[in-house]
Amino acid sequence: MMKRCTVLLSLLSLLPSCWLARGQVNEPINALALQQLVPGASTAGDVTKALGGPVEVVQLGRRSAYLYSASTEKTANLFAFVLTLSNTDTRQDRVWVFFDESDVLTHVGATLESHHAQYAMPWEDVHEPADNASRDEGRPGVGK
Amino acid sequence: MSGWAALASLVLVGCVTGRFERVTVNAPVPSAALAGLTPGTDTLGTCLAALGAPVTVVECSVGPGLKSGVAIAYSWIERSGWGFTVNVPRVNNAYFSFDSLGTDVPGCVLWFDERLVLQRWREGLVGSLLPARRRPAPVLGAN
Repeated sequence: MMKRCTVLLSLLSLLPSCWLARGQVNEPINALALQQLVPGASTAGDVTKALGGPVEVVQLGRRSAYLYSASTEKTANLFAFVLTLSNTDTRQDRVWVFFDESDVLTHVGATLESHHAQYAMPWEDVHEPADNASRDEGRPGVGK
Repeated sequence: MSGWAALASLVLVGCVTGRFERVTVNAPVPSAALAGLTPGTDTLGTCLAALGAPVTVVECSVGPGLKSGVAIAYSWIERSGWGFTVNVPRVNNAYFSFDSLGTDVPGCVLWFDERLVLQRWREGLVGSLLPARRRPAPVLGAN
């Protein structure tokens, strides 16, 4: 009996295990609210009303720029005996809005990719265009 | 032979663990999109439309009069590597760790003049390309 238990425990120790972890910083940016912003017409007040408080404010001489960002991090680990295989994928939503000296919106730069983060093993291909497109479909205001 | 036996015993008791790790952060900016930008013609608006939102925006001085320009930076991480950790169980918190993952962050930086027209762009390690953060320039004539 003792010998059988020892063999069983030895076999269990050799079996691989895996775990997943997910991290989120800030709520994903509302792409529909972003579409309401009109360069040349919207003001800094309109932007903060639509998107909330920015993460960062940068002074650019007489101009200024606000950053809105959110990120999703997905980690997949496979532990096999003494070797850990790990993959961490982080994708961000970033929106920079630029204002002139009168606080009127002049430019908007947006990258909305936080929903593209994937669990994967280190050797796997991720972020193929078709894969990203299918994820875009599920996010209002991003998919076509 | 005894060295191999010692290493095998360390591995078997979990004192030495190895790992293979891949870390990806953000999508790289396609070189073709960068190559399509024309200094003197493209503006901040066209560059944002082509490349999306940058990671960093800073003020920079441009021209002979050191007027207030803008530099925007895109960066990403795509690296993988092996590593190992050696733990010494008899000593509190004693361990040694090695990673072949680098710490340099690749990317590109675009510089714009005071009219927000593209002056130049460069690819490389963002830390060495981007001007150091500084106190914002005083706004002349501001009340």
